[in-house]
Amino acid sequence: MADSDRKPRYVYGVVRGDGSTPAVKGIAGAPLELVDAGEVAALTSVAPAEYLEAGREDLLTHSRVLEATLEQGTVLPMRFGVVVPDDETLRGRLLEGHREELLAQLAEMDGKVELTLKGVYDEAAILRELVAGDREIGYLRNAIAGKSEAATYYERIRLGELVAAAFAARQERDSAAVVEELRPCAVAVRVGEPIHERMAVNASFLVERSGQPKFDRAVDEIGKREAGRIRFRVTGPLPPHSFVELEAVV
Amino acid sequence: MATAVQQQPYRGGSGYVARSSSSGLYDVLELILDKGLVIDVFVRVSLIGIEILTIDARIVIASVDTYLRFAEAVNRLDLMSTETQGLPELMEGITEGGASSKTKGVLQGAKEALFGDEEEEEKDKGDEGEERSGRRRSSDQTTTKRRRRSEASGSGSGSSRRSKKS
Repeated sequence: MADSDRKPRYVYGVVRGDGSTPAVKGIAGAPLELVDAGEVAALTSVAPAEYLEAGREDLLTHSRVLEATLEQGTVLPMRFGVVVPDDETLRGRLLEGHREELLAQLAEMDGKVELTLKGVYDEAAILRELVAGDREIGYLRNAIAGKSEAATYYERIRLGELVAAAFAARQERDSAAVVEELRPCAVAVRVGEPIHERMAVNASFLVERSGQPKFDRAVDEIGKREAGRIRFRVTGPLPPHSFVELEAVV
Repeated sequence: MATAVQQQPYRGGSGYVARSSSSGLYDVLELILDKGLVIDVFVRVSLIGIEILTIDARIVIASVDTYLRFAEAVNRLDLMSTETQGLPELMEGITEGGASSKTKGVLQGAKEALFGDEEEEEKDKGDEGEERSGRRRSSDQTTTKRRRRSEASGSGSGSSRRSKKS
């Protein structure tokens, strides 16, 4: 039993047993190592002693290791921050304990990548749209105009509440429309919550590599149509973060 | 991190959609914190500041504070639109970033508190600093609000997420 067998390991993801490590460094500059259990293997690096808190640089490293691995083949990404105490635990609790599931998901993810789509509203454009589209908002806005902030405190809260509600409804509608339009280009879709106030769409698409051009063209169509209103950004190809999952083992 | 992995090049397109093949923090934060394989018995390291910020973004929408900011945004919009009614001008402003910079700090505020500016993020991927919130403040009225939120968030321990089982 080698020394490193008993060291805590940071785990990036799961690959096939015959996979290889990409030529990038792991967290804290540690070399990447495969811990294999036959047909499946974990992509790891030895974790620094007392490694309990991570920062921005570690997040980026996690992400870049996985992206580099994806270039070499199929990888099931772990969530950020998984550290196992030793190799035995890693094999028992992950690689052997979930072997069938992992193999099935590796097969399912072959040739597929995750593409994320984020759409962000132009603030002025969306606010104008909301003001124009709601009589009460227009009315309140006029009633408040030119008066002191103190005198209109409750009216302003009411106005803001109406705008926020109208915004949420508009966002939901826009998000659904964009996702439905792109669904035929993807194998699977996960729609996320907006992660900031101005976000129109936040979705992940599992796409065949060969189907990427079709997806790209479809997004371009939407981007062109929504120009000036929603600004889109596609990120990928990424490992299929949003499309992997393990059954909990009791 | 200077050793950024060279991914496949920009995939072309019409120019209406921004694309990045290698991920910046802004693009993947949510993915790598919330998605992917995880097993409960494993230790998860905590992530100072950043985790709490993602939660903050989700709850921020339903508060009086937010309503007042929305109201302020709409009122300011009113003043602007007395001069610029025409659609062509509106479009031009958006394309050039002119209109959005005038109204910046309303919806933009929460985002900047979270991630810094998106474009900025692209430029300084190599920035190793973990505290980003003190930088590049504009001088509009929401500055105080934004800073307050950033500081509160930045000092969080991330413990609320750590205890979450998935």
